[in-house]
Amino acid sequence: MHEIDVHDLSDDADYAASVQQGSASMNRSNSSKQGSSGEQEGAEIVYVKDNVAIHPTQYASERISGRLKLIKQGGSLFMTWIPYKGQSSSARLSEKDKSLYTIRAVPFSDVRSIRRHTPTLGWQYVIVVLSSGLAFPPLYFYNGGVREFLATIKQHAYLVRSADDANVFLVNDFQDPLQRTLSSLELPRAVSVTNSPSSAAAASESPSSWTDGETFDRNSVLAQQNARQRQKHNDPARDLSIQVLEKFSLVTRFARETTSQLFGEAQGDGFITNDRRKHDGKTHDYPRIAESNDAQKLPEDVPVPADPLEFDKLSLVWGKPRQPPLGTEEWSAFLDSEGRVTDSEAVRKRIFYGGVEPDLRKEVWRFLLGYHSYDSTYAEREYLVSVKKSEYETIKNQWKSISKEQAKRFTKFRERRGLIEKDVVRTDRSTSFYEEDDSPNIKCLRDILLTYSFYNFDLGYCQGMSDLLSPILFVMGDESETFWCFVALMERLGPNFNRDQNGMHSQLFALSKLVELLDIPLHNYFEQKDCLNYFFCFRWVLIQFKREFEFEQTMRLWEVLWTHYGSEHLHLYVCVAILKRHRSKIIGEGMDFDTLLKFINELSGHIDLDAILRDAEALCICAGENGESCIPPGTPPSLPVDDASMYYQQDDDDVL
Amino acid sequence: MPSRRRTLLKVIILGDSGVGKTSLMNQYVNKKFSNQYKATIGADFLTKEVQFEDRLFTLQIWDTAGQERFQSLGVAFYRGADCCVLVYDVNSMKSFENLNNWREEFLIQASPSDPENFPFVVLGNKIDVDGGNSRVVSEKKARAWCASKGNIPYFETSAKEGTNVEEAFQCIAKNALKSGEEEEIYLPDTIDVAASSQQRTGGCEC
Repeated sequence: MHEIDVHDLSDDADYAASVQQGSASMNRSNSSKQGSSGEQEGAEIVYVKDNVAIHPTQYASERISGRLKLIKQGGSLFMTWIPYKGQSSSARLSEKDKSLYTIRAVPFSDVRSIRRHTPTLGWQYVIVVLSSGLAFPPLYFYNGGVREFLATIKQHAYLVRSADDANVFLVNDFQDPLQRTLSSLELPRAVSVTNSPSSAAAASESPSSWTDGETFDRNSVLAQQNARQRQKHNDPARDLSIQVLEKFSLVTRFARETTSQLFGEAQGDGFITNDRRKHDGKTHDYPRIAESNDAQKLPEDVPVPADPLEFDKLSLVWGKPRQPPLGTEEWSAFLDSEGRVTDSEAVRKRIFYGGVEPDLRKEVWRFLLGYHSYDSTYAEREYLVSVKKSEYETIKNQWKSISKEQAKRFTKFRERRGLIEKDVVRTDRSTSFYEEDDSPNIKCLRDILLTYSFYNFDLGYCQGMSDLLSPILFVMGDESETFWCFVALMERLGPNFNRDQNGMHSQLFALSKLVELLDIPLHNYFEQKDCLNYFFCFRWVLIQFKREFEFEQTMRLWEVLWTHYGSEHLHLYVCVAILKRHRSKIIGEGMDFDTLLKFINELSGHIDLDAILRDAEALCICAGENGESCIPPGTPPSLPVDDASMYYQQDDDDVL
Repeated sequence: MPSRRRTLLKVIILGDSGVGKTSLMNQYVNKKFSNQYKATIGADFLTKEVQFEDRLFTLQIWDTAGQERFQSLGVAFYRGADCCVLVYDVNSMKSFENLNNWREEFLIQASPSDPENFPFVVLGNKIDVDGGNSRVVSEKKARAWCASKGNIPYFETSAKEGTNVEEAFQCIAKNALKSGEEEEIYLPDTIDVAASSQQRTGGCEC
């Protein structure tokens, strides 16, 4: 976990201090100040925060900024998040898209929990989980204010910190006294369990600074105007967004219930227990079968499995069918007259679902790998290629010019060369491209790897790199072009080969978290068998399944992974998908670490790529934001977190 | 005083990249050699049934990645090992010099209960290459090192031609079995497998 700060509640001394300092940028009003302006609608805005954004994709250009508000009306607290109009940095994001993400007046009685994330680098964000199981996308607080957000909620609704996770805050309206009792018992660290959840009682707990000198500023006025508009217009987009979100919610809930039935084990987060009690009013009979109410809500085309082990079928229903690969003609339609890719997301989506025809790979992979940028023109690319060609020759000459006498006194060089030469002659030799003993392609692999070890001397050469390079050379043909594409790939996968293995460890850790999220019985099984290091997936992750598929299939998988469509970490969902496909065998046969490793290694050549990709996509959708929050920032193949800009944003927190 | 029956013997093969770990394992288990084994990523193992008198044992032979960068994975793979096989290439001085690192790394990561007496076996592989003309590590030198480390049994092998592979693994199996001895078990003194064939260059003292 990356949390650096565990304080945030209003009853926290640290919090009080921060409010005193005025370091927070929160715009807030208390009830006495708000009273008059709120009376017209019977609604009172108790918290407004600007520049709270969601990130629908990993691309900065597609982030949506908006205003987050907490509104009190008729004794209930509501949350809204409205994106700014006409401020989009990206033309691709239509107003309709933005409406889809709009959060309109969610009552806190529907909120189950709020998870706070405080990355060491980057913006704080929260994930709001509804009692239906739906999670809204993470809300990034560009100007800080998570602490105040939580404190305000605490003031007006019932909020306690989860005993299991200090960053999870449970929300409950506590209409049921039984629940209140139960929750207070379950949450020993919960603060101020009062009998009255009224705001008066809550306010009495807050520090005196809470009421001090906070002014009602321009933003709040604007916010109120928006609030009025909101209530006047019945936005048709609202129905759409609810529809979409409920679909996700159903999937997530379906997955959770299905998986938690097996072995009769409840998830350890305490939510399920509460949820179930809430739904059926009983406290003694869990684990139990999924609520029949929920089953009725499932769309008809989703089978409700009687046996939880049939969960796999869910993914078959949800994963979209694969398409034929992208062909030359279709590709040229994506290019404008000067060769720019006008809609890179559409291209990536297209490739995600179908891959690329072999002849076209040479052109398209350069974009997917990031060697060429989508908005470059033919001329710019041609120029880049020529510049890069001479740059490659320069680096290559650095080792080419090492004489025998020099090499004698250059152990590191000799060792690297030796290691590379040992590996290139045993890389994909069953492929005709590398078949012959004196194949120039083998020599080319060697030259590129040796050059790379000079280009990135710190990383050097590591086993596995030749596996990653070989398909690229096969596709690109040209030595220099192959080198630069490989460089681009290694920008993302380089950490896999770090000496401290941190890149691998972070991915295997994320994988364990994803399995925990998507298949808790399997997770529990691995835990029981002491397999949570996931080393049995090491080869999968290190070289992107290169040893698991035939050469052609590997290339298809890679180009799909490289689209980063949906998730940068689809490969981890591929891991989960494969494990889930075999879960009944793994659990049924009681495999221990050794047997599991052997079993996984022997799956090589027996994995149905298309089926697994469909599963992986479905799992990725199922997991949604919860899935992404399992994956620490900077986990390969994410690009390393940009320290400078992140620190800058963090500083903003204090300045504003 | 026979007690609990021990059926699985775990053996770890270590050594520099490209010395022939995978090939030795495959030659022993499958009686096959290929020029085209890929570099091992992560770890894998093969099993072979071995018989000692009237008892069957499963020899589980672990093949690991040879690059030292992956050594940190060892913790997961080395635990519970009964014997460790150190392999070097007689045509590569560096691979011989690294035996000491591999041995120490193993002892650190596997942390056996009695490191002083943990059984190792050393194999000098690739004796077939160039008719022995490219050899740079002499048998004498190798044996001297083995002697200095507590009389480690030593074999010179060719995974390609199958030379001494069977003999070496018999010794390995026997040592693995012996290492479990203190823990519990009754074991016979002789190995039944191909008992007639004596190792040619073997130094198995067991």
